[in-house]
Amino acid sequence: MKSFQNIDVKSVKEAVGLLQKFHQQKKVAAVVGGGSEYLQLMKDHVVEPDYLINLKTIPGLDYVKEERGGFRIGALAKLVEIEEHPAIREKLLILSTAAGEAASPQIRNAGTIAGNICQRPFCWYFRSSNFTCLRKGGQVCYTVTGDGRFHAILGSGPSYIVHPSDTAPALVALGAQIKIVGPAGERNIPLEKFFVLPSVDYKRENILNPGDVVTEIYIPTPRSGSKGFYYKVRERLAWDHAIVSVATIVENNGGVVRDARVVMGGVAPIPWRAPKTEEFLRGKKLDEANAKQASEIALEGAKPLKDNVYKVQMAKDLIQRGLLASV
Amino acid sequence: MADEKMGAKLSRRTFLKGLGGGAIGTAVVSTGLIKSDPAEAYSPETVGIARDKTPITLKVNGKAYRVEVEPRDTLAEVLRDQLGLTGTKIGCDRGECGACTVIINGRNMYSCSQLAVWMQGKEILTIEGLAKGDKLDPVQEAFIEHDGPQCGFCTSGQIMSGKALLMKNSKPTEAQVRRGLSGNLCRCGNYNREVESVLAAAKGR
Amino acid sequence: MAKDFSVVSKKTPRIDGYERVTGQAQYAGDVQVPGMLFARVLRSRQPHARIVDIDTSKAEKLPGVKAIIHYKNAQVAWSSGSQIVERYIFNNPVRYAGEAIAAVAATDRHIAEDALSLIEVKYEKLPYVLDVKEALKPDAPKIHPKGNLSVGEGRRGGAPIVEEWGDLEKGFKEADRIFEGTYVTKHVNNAQMERRVSLAKWDGGKLTVWASTQGISNCRTDLAKDLGLPLSKVRVICKNMGAGFGNKNQAHDFDLMAAILAKMAGQPVKVEFTREDDFVGVHGRWASAQHYKIGVKNDGTVTALEENSTTNMGGYRKGSGGLSGTDFYQAPNFKKIINPTYTNTVVAANFRAPSYPQSVFGIASILDQIAYELGINPLEMFEKNRVRLAKNKTRFSSYGLDQCIAEGAKRIGWNEKWHKPGATPGAKKHGIGMALGGYNFRQGLGAAAIRMNPDGSAHLLVGVTDIGGGAKTTMAIIAAEALGIPLSRIQVTYGDTDATPYSIGESGSRTTVFTGTAVIAAAQDVRAQIFKLAAEQLKVKPDELELKEGNVFVKSDPNQKLSLNQALNRVGADIIGRATTNPNEMKDVEGKCFSAHFAEVEVDLFSGHIKVTRYVAAHDSGTIINRLTAESQVKGGVVQGIGMALTEELLTDKLTGIPINPNYRDAKVPTHLEVPEVEVIFVDSFDPYGPFGGKVVGEPPITAAVATIANAIFNATGKRIKELPITPDKILQARQV
Repeated sequence: MKSFQNIDVKSVKEAVGLLQKFHQQKKVAAVVGGGSEYLQLMKDHVVEPDYLINLKTIPGLDYVKEERGGFRIGALAKLVEIEEHPAIREKLLILSTAAGEAASPQIRNAGTIAGNICQRPFCWYFRSSNFTCLRKGGQVCYTVTGDGRFHAILGSGPSYIVHPSDTAPALVALGAQIKIVGPAGERNIPLEKFFVLPSVDYKRENILNPGDVVTEIYIPTPRSGSKGFYYKVRERLAWDHAIVSVATIVENNGGVVRDARVVMGGVAPIPWRAPKTEEFLRGKKLDEANAKQASEIALEGAKPLKDNVYKVQMAKDLIQRGLLASV
Repeated sequence: MADEKMGAKLSRRTFLKGLGGGAIGTAVVSTGLIKSDPAEAYSPETVGIARDKTPITLKVNGKAYRVEVEPRDTLAEVLRDQLGLTGTKIGCDRGECGACTVIINGRNMYSCSQLAVWMQGKEILTIEGLAKGDKLDPVQEAFIEHDGPQCGFCTSGQIMSGKALLMKNSKPTEAQVRRGLSGNLCRCGNYNREVESVLAAAKGR
Repeated sequence: MAKDFSVVSKKTPRIDGYERVTGQAQYAGDVQVPGMLFARVLRSRQPHARIVDIDTSKAEKLPGVKAIIHYKNAQVAWSSGSQIVERYIFNNPVRYAGEAIAAVAATDRHIAEDALSLIEVKYEKLPYVLDVKEALKPDAPKIHPKGNLSVGEGRRGGAPIVEEWGDLEKGFKEADRIFEGTYVTKHVNNAQMERRVSLAKWDGGKLTVWASTQGISNCRTDLAKDLGLPLSKVRVICKNMGAGFGNKNQAHDFDLMAAILAKMAGQPVKVEFTREDDFVGVHGRWASAQHYKIGVKNDGTVTALEENSTTNMGGYRKGSGGLSGTDFYQAPNFKKIINPTYTNTVVAANFRAPSYPQSVFGIASILDQIAYELGINPLEMFEKNRVRLAKNKTRFSSYGLDQCIAEGAKRIGWNEKWHKPGATPGAKKHGIGMALGGYNFRQGLGAAAIRMNPDGSAHLLVGVTDIGGGAKTTMAIIAAEALGIPLSRIQVTYGDTDATPYSIGESGSRTTVFTGTAVIAAAQDVRAQIFKLAAEQLKVKPDELELKEGNVFVKSDPNQKLSLNQALNRVGADIIGRATTNPNEMKDVEGKCFSAHFAEVEVDLFSGHIKVTRYVAAHDSGTIINRLTAESQVKGGVVQGIGMALTEELLTDKLTGIPINPNYRDAKVPTHLEVPEVEVIFVDSFDPYGPFGGKVVGEPPITAAVATIANAIFNATGKRIKELPITPDKILQARQV
């Protein structure tokens, strides 16, 4: 790693202030939560901050609070805490499942929910110190000429990364909100608006600007009659990111859909919601024919690379499986 | 893509330069320096000098140690190089193998993925801290009896993960043991034995 | 053959278990000496280029940097690396992306890493070729002066490798049906847990290297040769090492780099590889493209077997490049042609049974396919075509392959579980498959010394390091059995060339036989001396005596006895027994271990995910010296086979020639969750040429594993996948066809 300074902060306000200050001084500063992922980026010289702002020393940012109507989760809540929280298991099962699918036990013990949502891509070209790819300021996205088997089939171009987070698709399916504190103050936005397509800006994955700190995730409890489904297809059952994942919440009455949220992971640079599918499903019966058609709609417009054509059918099958399991 | 400012002898070029074009290209073999801001020049005068060694106190295996570390020293490196606790191994330095697993405040974590400076005030338990004098921890004894180590390099990490699991769940099922150890690679493929050992330790055998 | 052993063939915990589980076992990277510097290696990003110039002036100015070496100031041969072409520790031109071009020693590892980025290299890029088929075209860029077919002299031989017997044409004429197929396997890295590290220290003219090596004796010989030193001036120490599976044999470039940097800097130097260095800077298993043409009778009997294959050796020739899986299958008429080929990719060499799992995958898959096409149960097919005579003419020194098949099939319940391929209903398909494998067994050079103390305890001196196979324990067991004293009375001195005699090193499944044989001979030497002394005291002739459980007694009257203490206390000093053995007794017999593996899988057709749900491995390895560690070896080999079959592959980017996934995460080494319980059967067997009837255990376990899983997948899906690894995308693609 390149040399840097570590600053332990005591409050979000202090963190924001420092980030602003360093930005003005044209220094590179970054916040770290658990730090596991960020350290690896530093070791591979993907990022080389002059300052690390350690948020772990801020007290009281790791809460899991159940309120009426939803849950407030502090940015620094660990993945293991979310996975094992009895109320989350009971009421937001797909979030507990998704958190439990992340990485490995040691990483779940150290990694935070905000870190999981903000993690950088695990595209092997991006993570390698040997490739200066488009996202890192180079000229070319290497997956186009190279090996793109794990890359995007939707929403892609000119970069073809997939968003690696396991919790993000579940959170988007649950309609989560994210709270960000920055120089101009605090703002709450729907989590699905947090992510940025490469066609908009291929050098970033989310809307965070210098000075911004994620502080909280809010998740409304699904309405009664809702059933959740989460499945992550992966090669190895530890560490591996999703080849394709699906998170759905389907509110239905005896198999007839009142409302649905269908989100895919591993297929796009952002957690990919399928609004046309959701619209199609409203009022329909959850049977094989409708599930199949719903899955076709979800993958309409998919533009696979030469190496990841298989993801199209895999995603369709997974959506069908999820819908039929939601009765 | 801009080069760094004057004085920087390290210029960053893409590896496409010269491809298909001229045969001679000056490719500076860097370790892939990518910065969003062209900040300070990466030159001999600045690199390596900005190393502030600060004194920190680490609590390891019940003892307090005072060491001087750079911010970029990982916990694994400090345990091994400065405290002489070489039982914790570094297998990949990327949090992808588990050989460096230690227990921090009761949870198993990768010590390569924690900076030493973040560890002040934490209770750190390493493989060297498991035995009580001459008495081995049940997990350690089970590993000997059930042939837990082959080459032995992942063994410390497997034992620490097993220990952390039993600290949290003293009567795990086999599936729970496998999941609890799933963040520890063993290239010798001794997985059956490691699981068997932890189960035996749980059963008090 | 049941033998009445005291120690051999029991389940014996490793004698160094305590050190391993307490973190006290010292590996090369744990050693620290005063004044030690840290070194890092700089690697080429060019797949093929001439280095025009290298400028280290800025790096040298960095405070803390003490020495830098590269092709200009360190032209040292790396002779153990390549048997065919000349290879130096720094080569010019560089022949693959990842090749070492410089090494820096500095006062700490951060500075060493910082210094790498200050080294400037000017390249003249050369055209490169990444693919074997392309490399064999007449107009392909030449990687070595003689071209891309790895031709040459020396131990490894040149391309092509040819083996034949019988009359192929006649064999095909006799066939009722002829089948052909091509099977492709990939480069898989050894990926052992311990990254490479080497600490070198000079004391005057003597060099000590704490190495992470599988063979200290050969490492010492190579270092002495390449540095121009007498053997007595080189000491290699390796007390524990974190495995290698064949890529830590002999000395390596980083051992030489450490020695040279240490000389230059005047301080000890520890070269440390990152995990990425380890993936690209050493070697992995050679990839292969195997084409088979097989003639069979309608009942499945093979009449002719023809193989035409290529192996991808990477930028340098470091291994045999052979394919030998056909060794376990019978063919009256046979011809095999293998062309090891250079490409500008990461080097390929030894990885556990280097020429076997790839080719057992090939031959066992096609035989399994033929069984399907003929409507024959695979068990019958393999039973019919298991090898019976080596090269169709030589008998085996011991043979248990039939037992392996019978006992393994019974244990897994083959007859109850087998069904036609693809026959199970639903999206989650069950499959069961099998394959035959094994490994070579031969005699060779070993040495051992035993110092027996006057109290009857003994030191066993052997040059083993113990890479995980438990060699220390195995040797101690052999010594205990051969001497006739309890295992607890044996102390093993190992892993230091200043103290221990020659051992081949733990590779090629040779230590148990080569060094074990020497241990037995050394023990006979000690016993002879003991009997001479005891005979005087007991007033009998030496050949009337026996030694068991630490007591010397008269065979015909066991009550006439002496404890060892009594027998030896007059001497007051050690009794030293020693032996160097190199038996060459296996004339007109072929030595082989055999195995039959069986697996059940569950294939999810929607996700393409494959789960191995049950595994039975039946092995014939003769007498098993230590059942506990031998079983672990089998389990371990199977796990590596699962990885090779389902997830592992080192990928190279076509545009740049740079490896894409040189790390654990993306090269996908199997985890706890990929692995079922592996049931191990050792069939009852005894080989007259091995220690106490033992053969070998280390390498056989992986050889059949890949094919076994692939055949089980075929049985589950009805689709034959001929290219490894069998990843979800391949399942889905096969489904759509």
